[in-house]
Amino acid sequence: MEFTAYQIITPLISFVAIAYAWNLVFKQKKTIWEALLWSVFWGFISVIAIYPNSLDYLTAITGIKDRENAVMVTSLGVLFFIVFYLVIRLENLEQRQTRMTRKLALKDIDKTKK
Amino acid sequence: MKIIAVIPAYNEGTRVGNVVSEVAKYVEKIIVVDDGSTDDTAQIAKKAGAIVLTHIENCGAGAATMTGIDAARMLGAEVVVTLDADEQHSSDDIPALLKPITDKKADMVFANRFGRRNNIPLIRRVFNGLGNIITFAATGKWVSDSQCGFKVFGPKAVSQVDLRMSGYEFCTEIVRESAQHRWRTAEIPAKVLYSEYTLAKGQSFANGVRTALKILLRSFLR
Ligand SMILES: Nc1nc2c(ncn2[C@@H]2O[C@H](COP(=O)(O)OP(=O)(O)O)[C@@H](O)[C@H]2O)c(=O)[nH]1
Ligand SMILES: [Mg+2]
Repeated sequence: MEFTAYQIITPLISFVAIAYAWNLVFKQKKTIWEALLWSVFWGFISVIAIYPNSLDYLTAITGIKDRENAVMVTSLGVLFFIVFYLVIRLENLEQRQTRMTRKLALKDIDKTKK
Repeated sequence: MKIIAVIPAYNEGTRVGNVVSEVAKYVEKIIVVDDGSTDDTAQIAKKAGAIVLTHIENCGAGAATMTGIDAARMLGAEVVVTLDADEQHSSDDIPALLKPITDKKADMVFANRFGRRNNIPLIRRVFNGLGNIITFAATGKWVSDSQCGFKVFGPKAVSQVDLRMSGYEFCTEIVRESAQHRWRTAEIPAKVLYSEYTLAKGQSFANGVRTALKILLRSFLR
């Protein structure tokens, strides 16, 4: 079996991501459970990279076979990523607003204490 | 031990006064966090004798609770009791919930509304069951009543708790924290009252779905 660069790099990235997750567990920033979920996710991705044939099953149910369809799937992937990115940005904005509101509220307690 | 109650309140002007004077029997100080209410929640809570902190904008029950806990820490609290402002919980349950903490048997106590005979609408039971399952999926820890606002934090939990989620997701986040920091937890049956008022104010289905999605997104991205 011959490997393409993609098939080598992807498992490497997955490995780093999984190691990173467990490192966070070690530093008590992530729970074991979350690291497990994370490992399953990345494990899945590297399996697909190493054995692309495992996707045959997916092909069978979606009917994605030829090149035109591949383009469509890729652009769907890009769109998905953009939405994902926006959701995260929105989350961050919301958190920032909450932090500000909370700080303002806590200023009052300093006053009541003195 | 210095016990402080934290009560998040959003437009509970008709209820919060009673809650404060009831809870005052069992704790040293009461902090009401007015979460951007458009009614007279803040004034009424103050009149009833609580320390009132105000969010200038509505941020959600989680953010309000964390503001209250932060304030309690600043005031030197060793134990923090959190409960809802809508008279759903009975302050007479506070001593029972405090007991595992004062006995040094637990770092955190969850009230369990399903642990005794309570008149809980079926739909609420279903939602809370789903909440428990999602919480278990995201944290790996099973709590019989994970979505209840009535809780007691012991000294260890008070010093370590750090909630980032602002909405109702915070209930799940607290379970997560307790698993992460290995707090010893206890569950004590507690009374709950579902009146027309609380049901009208309570959570919608859409809200529940949004909360669930947030929990999953968060637990994945951390
Ligand atoms: N609904 C709602 N409640 C809030 C908010 N911020 C703080 N709270 C308080 O959080 C507590 C729980 O709210 P409630 O809607 O009764 O939730 P439930 O009893 O779990 O269905 C109450 O004491 C509210 O006043 C908010 O933004 N929305
Ligand atoms: Mg309620």
